[in-house]
Amino acid sequence: MTSWVLIVDDEEMIRENLKAYLEDEGLGVAAFESATHALGWLRDDSATCRVCIMDMRLPDMDGNTAIRIFHQLYPEMEFLIHTGSSSYSLPEDLRAMGLDNDRIYHKPLGDMAPLAAAVRALAISREIQP
Amino acid sequence: MLTSTFSRRRSSPNRPLSRQAAGRGSLSGPRWGPFLLALPTGANADAGWLPTPAEFHDIVASLVNPAWMLIPITLLAVATLLWSWSQRRQAARRTRQLQRELNERRRVEMALRESEARLRDVTEAASDWIWEMDENLRFTYLSERFFALTGIAPHYVLGRARWELAATDSDADPQKWRRHRETLEKHLPFRDFVYQTRLSGSHGEGRYLKVSGKPIHDSQGRFMGYRGTGTDITEQIKAEVALYQSELRLRRIIDLVPHMIFAKDRHGHFLLANRATADAYGTTVEELVNRSHHIIHGVDEEVERMLADDLDVIESRTSKLIAEETFTDHAGHVRTLQTMKIPFVEPGLNETAVLGVAIDITEQKRAKEEVARMRLYLKNIIDSMPSVLIGVDPWGYITVLNQPAEQAGGVSWETAQGRFFGDVFPQLKGQFKQVRQAIRHGQPIKTPRMTLDVQGELHYADVMVYPLRADSASGAVIRIDDVTARVRIESMMVQTEKMLSVGGLAAGMAHEINNPLGAILQGSQNILRRIAPDLSQNRAVADALGLDLNQLNRYLQERGILRFLEGIREAGARAAKIVADMLSFSRRSEARFVPVDLQDLLETVLRLAASDYDLKKKYDFKRIAIRRDYDPTLRLVYCDKTEIEQVILNLLKNAAQAMAEEGTPAPAITLRTLREPDYVLIEVIDNGPGMDDKTLKRVFEPFFTTKEVGVGTGLGLSVSYFIVTEQHNGRLSVTSRPGQGTRFSIRLPSLRKALS
Repeated sequence: MTSWVLIVDDEEMIRENLKAYLEDEGLGVAAFESATHALGWLRDDSATCRVCIMDMRLPDMDGNTAIRIFHQLYPEMEFLIHTGSSSYSLPEDLRAMGLDNDRIYHKPLGDMAPLAAAVRALAISREIQP
Repeated sequence: MLTSTFSRRRSSPNRPLSRQAAGRGSLSGPRWGPFLLALPTGANADAGWLPTPAEFHDIVASLVNPAWMLIPITLLAVATLLWSWSQRRQAARRTRQLQRELNERRRVEMALRESEARLRDVTEAASDWIWEMDENLRFTYLSERFFALTGIAPHYVLGRARWELAATDSDADPQKWRRHRETLEKHLPFRDFVYQTRLSGSHGEGRYLKVSGKPIHDSQGRFMGYRGTGTDITEQIKAEVALYQSELRLRRIIDLVPHMIFAKDRHGHFLLANRATADAYGTTVEELVNRSHHIIHGVDEEVERMLADDLDVIESRTSKLIAEETFTDHAGHVRTLQTMKIPFVEPGLNETAVLGVAIDITEQKRAKEEVARMRLYLKNIIDSMPSVLIGVDPWGYITVLNQPAEQAGGVSWETAQGRFFGDVFPQLKGQFKQVRQAIRHGQPIKTPRMTLDVQGELHYADVMVYPLRADSASGAVIRIDDVTARVRIESMMVQTEKMLSVGGLAAGMAHEINNPLGAILQGSQNILRRIAPDLSQNRAVADALGLDLNQLNRYLQERGILRFLEGIREAGARAAKIVADMLSFSRRSEARFVPVDLQDLLETVLRLAASDYDLKKKYDFKRIAIRRDYDPTLRLVYCDKTEIEQVILNLLKNAAQAMAEEGTPAPAITLRTLREPDYVLIEVIDNGPGMDDKTLKRVFEPFFTTKEVGVGTGLGLSVSYFIVTEQHNGRLSVTSRPGQGTRFSIRLPSLRKALS
């Protein structure tokens, strides 16, 4: 069973670059341009997804809503936020899920290594926990 | 005065009389008379009638000599002769005696006649008359003078008592008459009884009479009546009444005068005082006069001074004007008097006295002082104005300058007065047109933001010309406000606005730019990673394709492709930094403000700066001497720690960079903190090249940089400015001169102020 990293971002090159970097890090990555597509894949595939890197501005819904839906359906999923907005701040209910400012990554990421490290750390903690 | 005139008048007619009497007495007075008569008479008589002893001897010898016979005859003859001689002698003596008596009588008669005539003359000539009363006190005799003097016919008087003639007067003063009557009834002498008779003579109204009298007694001592003299003193009384009235009138006049009028002798006794004077001393005129100044007035110091002035006037016999003196009145109010003191000789007194007129100038003085005070106050007001105020007349001649104007023109009001304002303030010469226009139209005229050259510095001034409103003074006031500071603040505000709009713009486009930037940066990172020969995934793919990764890498290096890729990465990073900086120009409400230990913060920043050694930026922070000048009483400051760290780090880096570029020989940075009443001051002072005015003015402007292209974003200082002024409500200022280093001053609101 492979643990997947899910990337939701409408900007193709961002999506692809993140996917490439994380794959080079030896992680299984699934990338989608919208939350709807991601949800479809999650329902169809039996594979479990540990970590999700979520963009905030998506074509079908905003990132916060997507996180709430994903969290409801897959309570074990961990989220990292990757946003181009400088003024983004975490809503309270997301904080209640255990998200904090350390989970926020501002675009542009000049170096993806810290993000990759965070993903790895979350994925491992999820594997150990149960 | 009344009595003194009386006595003078009374004594003067007496004096010549007594002198006359004394003169005559020396020739034929009653004491000398008999003695003079006796002596010469006796001597003459003996020489004529008695024989000398020699003759007598001859007679006896002749009788003896002829014969003794003849003796009896002779004896007889002799006897006869002797008898007849003695008879003759006796007869002669009698005759002589008779003659003497006759002479004596004649002489006495003559003397009597003479005396009578003299008495009559005196009586008729004198101003007095003689009167007589009988034992019933009724007039029996009046000398002729009575009619002459009073014009009252004697028959009105004779046979009447005195009180019958003076009904009105006795009604007026019955006591006087009762006493007089008693005197008369007791037969006592009296003197100078004055009364008014109801009888009117030919002169008209009733007369004032003054009488003296003494009782007459006969040889047996029986009272026979009164005899005395009388005189008509009507004119005298009239004169005295007139005098009295005139005095009364004068009295009333001086009492009406509101100024103090007084006369004092050299001992400080009041000889005269008017009501105003008495009022000032809190007493009456009667009480004041003849009392000593010392007794009346309790304020020793004032009395001494006034008496000294009096004496001065009396001694020098010259008037003295005391322009101002203080006087404490009875109520304790201190008044200011202007006093004129004049020496004068009081009639009847040999000593010089002093006449004083004192005018109460308290109110005038107060008014004058008030005017002076008001003038000073107004001057103070216009001097306190920070504006330059120049008052000019319609022709542009200076009438008034306030202190700032004096400073600006380098002239005093006195010297500038009357000069053309354009000559004193050459830069305002052009305003003359406005002055004329303002006066003509009665409307103020404003010239905003006029540029002035103040000692080589460019200043901005708002120049207002106000026409004077008062009717009496036409002219204008030129008001100059140096608005340089305001203009600077405004330009700062414009700056801030500019920053905010940059911030707003950045926030709007950041998202759109950050995504492509992310693609560039992440893409270049992935490219560099995927051509690296050591990554296992790379090698796997290369092997499958039969590609030598090392060869490829050499190729990329040879062709400079790796350097281009690095260039893309750096350019992307810089663009990302610019966007990030621009984004900081936005008001963030949820800044993390906490009390921060300022010394710890500064030390952290110094550590960060020391580790920031950058070959490319060509400076080594470790070579710079750091001086710490911390205020020991200052510890906590309320701020967003990371932002203030960023500001100070930025200042340190700028200083280090500037000193490195210029090659400052012994580079040093002083970090200074100081507690101010409302602010915490943090200063970063370097001894680097400094800045010229032009640079200084633009130093906080966004995108302004003196650094080489590519070295700075041009946003560092404007971000710092924004953080301090906008996020922290503080101030950021800079002072610098070329070659003299630079001083940045950050003022953050004190903990107390920030929390209040």
